[in-house]
Amino acid sequence: MSLPQYDYVIIGAGPAGMAAAVEARQHGLNVLVLDEQPAVGGQIYRNIEDLEGQRRDEFEKLGADYQEAFELAQRFRASGAEYRPGRSIWQIDPDLTLYHIGQDGGPSETCHAQRILIATGAMERPMPFPGWTLPGVLACTAADVLYKSSGLLPRGEIVLLGSGPLLLLIACRLLDAGVKIAAYLDTNPHLAPFQALPYLPKALRGHEYLRKGIAMLWQMFTSGAKVHLGVTGLEAEGEGHLQKVRFQQGSSTWKELPADLLLLHHGVVPNVQITRQLGCEHTWYEKQRYWEPVLDQWGNTSIENVAVAGDSGRVCGSANSVLTGQLAALETARALGKIDLAQQTALAAPLLKKQDQELAIRPFLDTLFPPRHPWLVPKNEETLVCRCEEVRVREIRDAVRLGALSPDRVKPMVRCGMGPCQARMCGLTVAEIIADERQVSPADVGYFRVRSPIKPVTLGQLTGVE
Amino acid sequence: MFQPPPNVAKTIQITFEGKTYQVAPGQTVAAALMGEGYLTLRNSVVSGETRAAFCMMGICFDCLLEINGQPNQQSCMIQVRDGMNIQRQLKKGECA
Amino acid sequence: MNTMNADVVVIGGGVIGAAVAYGLAEQKASVVMLDREDFQLTASRGNFGLVWLQGKGHGMPRYAQWSQEATELWSTFAEKLEDQTGIPQYYHRTGGFEICVGEEEYNKRSSFLEEMRAQSLTGTYDCEMISREELQDMIPKLPIGPRVSGASFCPHDGFANPLHLLRALHQAFTQLKGQFFPSADVQTIEYNNDGFLIQTNTTRFSTRKLVIASGLATTKLSALVGIKVPVRPQRGQVLVTEKTDHLFPFATGRIRQNADGSFMFGASHEEVGYDLGTTNNVLQDIANHALAVFPTLKNLQLIRSWGSLRVLTPDQKPVYVESQSCPGAFAVTSHSGVSLASIHSSYLVDWILSGQTQPMFEAFDSARFDVPAAA
Repeated sequence: MSLPQYDYVIIGAGPAGMAAAVEARQHGLNVLVLDEQPAVGGQIYRNIEDLEGQRRDEFEKLGADYQEAFELAQRFRASGAEYRPGRSIWQIDPDLTLYHIGQDGGPSETCHAQRILIATGAMERPMPFPGWTLPGVLACTAADVLYKSSGLLPRGEIVLLGSGPLLLLIACRLLDAGVKIAAYLDTNPHLAPFQALPYLPKALRGHEYLRKGIAMLWQMFTSGAKVHLGVTGLEAEGEGHLQKVRFQQGSSTWKELPADLLLLHHGVVPNVQITRQLGCEHTWYEKQRYWEPVLDQWGNTSIENVAVAGDSGRVCGSANSVLTGQLAALETARALGKIDLAQQTALAAPLLKKQDQELAIRPFLDTLFPPRHPWLVPKNEETLVCRCEEVRVREIRDAVRLGALSPDRVKPMVRCGMGPCQARMCGLTVAEIIADERQVSPADVGYFRVRSPIKPVTLGQLTGVE
Repeated sequence: MFQPPPNVAKTIQITFEGKTYQVAPGQTVAAALMGEGYLTLRNSVVSGETRAAFCMMGICFDCLLEINGQPNQQSCMIQVRDGMNIQRQLKKGECA
Repeated sequence: MNTMNADVVVIGGGVIGAAVAYGLAEQKASVVMLDREDFQLTASRGNFGLVWLQGKGHGMPRYAQWSQEATELWSTFAEKLEDQTGIPQYYHRTGGFEICVGEEEYNKRSSFLEEMRAQSLTGTYDCEMISREELQDMIPKLPIGPRVSGASFCPHDGFANPLHLLRALHQAFTQLKGQFFPSADVQTIEYNNDGFLIQTNTTRFSTRKLVIASGLATTKLSALVGIKVPVRPQRGQVLVTEKTDHLFPFATGRIRQNADGSFMFGASHEEVGYDLGTTNNVLQDIANHALAVFPTLKNLQLIRSWGSLRVLTPDQKPVYVESQSCPGAFAVTSHSGVSLASIHSSYLVDWILSGQTQPMFEAFDSARFDVPAAA
């Protein structure tokens, strides 16, 4: 029995994946798009079709870029790409055979691609502190997802912790929806804006972003929420669920606040599970302290016929994700003989120009909101680092002292990274702690080896046994 | 601590821990339960400490529930379906 | 560069090197243990954790006897390590099976046991074939598949936690004042009448006794001291599931349930060189075997897999050999580093320290691989 064959398999139906599919279809490629979610939009444009259709007034509040994204979704639907929602990739072979399973629990399916595009987006950077596993502590994007997908709004004593444009964006979205925020605990040191100033002139080309940012800051500061700056430590406490938080600014005395919900954000990082499983080369991006796949301007990785677009390459926002998707698709169209190099160059030119504009603000933002040390390497050694296996900072440091110098050496000693999340939640923190203990850069420490299954698959699904 | 939207048709019936709920379609199991006031979804298999959904996007694996007899399902990734039977996992999942 | 002196230098910090180094340190020798940085190739972190007797030493009765002694020592060995380090070993001598699927496998296994019995140095071989029904009686919580024909059962088989074993050996070694250098890549070994000078990328060591227990690097390093020890890599792939209720208190060579409730399924035997990858068809074979034996596990989710490299000599049996051209240098390699940890840290260490040729180790000499010159 022969496998279904595709020119181009795109993993992810967010802005990058959709844009790539639309572009690829314009050049006559046979395209399959696989996405874990039940609908298009990725994380940032989650549930966008439903919002536009059923919840118009909420949709309009979301802004002009949502309207553009909706139109992209429409073009995607009309493009003729085969679209399979609710599918999780669990393995990709070196010859680009893909294995995927569905939420429905049916047998695993297999197909083959000439070229693959990984557009799986970004995920929240882990932000460990004592009590971060308590029910009531969530990633701030979780609150955003609950709102977009289900219309749920948080209530009670709501505290936000972290820094970065996304935290501010989500805070303002909640305020717009009538939610009362009790406190906004900003982890950025006070001097950060000055460090970012050198990048401001270039950033002014992205003046729309800056204007929006200033407006959001103003909205936050005038909302009635207690704003505390320069927060360097926090502990969440409660009996079985979150009831209060204690926080510290520098070496000040600890302050206490009642809390029912604590929403966290410490930047986003590329989701590299699939590029890692494939064995693509990755490099350490010091400014934002994460690993990203090594890519050329078309998104090609170190592995032939495997490319990346969007935030799973370098975190650059949704507008740039669309452009990288288009550029990757043009490269595929050329590689598979649908267009020649001259056509590719001509079609890419306006995209590259737009990309230049979109990226103008990034150095400023990346310098204004770098990851902060107390949240990368928890000072309290009893803090859980690996949530799945409940491994603490102290245990990881002890393993390093016993001679385990990299994550894969620490892993068999203390079990971090062995749970179902496969180090998604602890990988970066483990590397940072080892690096801190060894006084080297995480670039010298490395990351866990990622293997299949990328998502859990049952023995029955794997074998096709009913 | 999550408030469901008003004026939404709740056409799906699910059972959670033996209790029946009418919930809106087009949402995940985790979202539906949070809308019904549930926060704690499970106990950690290592220490027994309480856990709830954290990331809502299939990354953290903390929202694990037994759905229609199948344990360790990421409830934030599975849509509610009429007649679904959901159980907490207060102990390790059983198989078959 | 300073030269550091020790009574013994052990090159290799895996389960064999660490067991030997630990045993030496217990005998009050000053010991240096070296390991190099490249993690990926260590069998010590990718094995099944069996403390296994059945089937060992087919064709080499001396090895079968060695394995039996090792098994008998394991309980005391585990308790001692736990007392010294506080790291539980989770050693369970529950007895173990090789479960047969289909009549042919049953018959083959039965003949194999007869051969083991016939070659036994003690005249007995404590491993029996049991029927399908007897097998099911022993595992009431887990229905066996319809094609399961029976099993061989050895009451001395068991399992432990190999990662805890390695950690405990390292910790005990350090507690006994052993010195561990985790990023030492051995570059040269010089030998003269005063002993050995070992040069790594960072340090120099001088010693009168040297033990090479370097897994797949054993061939290269042994050559530096005039010993020929052929070893080759052989890949085994393993699948790990989510944690579930305790259903299977025994182990087979290919299926076991860990203390935390997760199941492990293995193991392939692939000659693929230094490739640690996992492949879909092998994982399917492993999963198919698991389901043929225990079909009710089909809804169990796999969450992890790995490929690891066994270190195999040509006849898959241990090599323990002292160099003739450089006396005082030893090479030690075997499969079953976990099962033999108890005896590696005791009898093998005695042999290394005694400095005497001992007949009981002749069988393990690597000279057995030398093809005799044509007459």
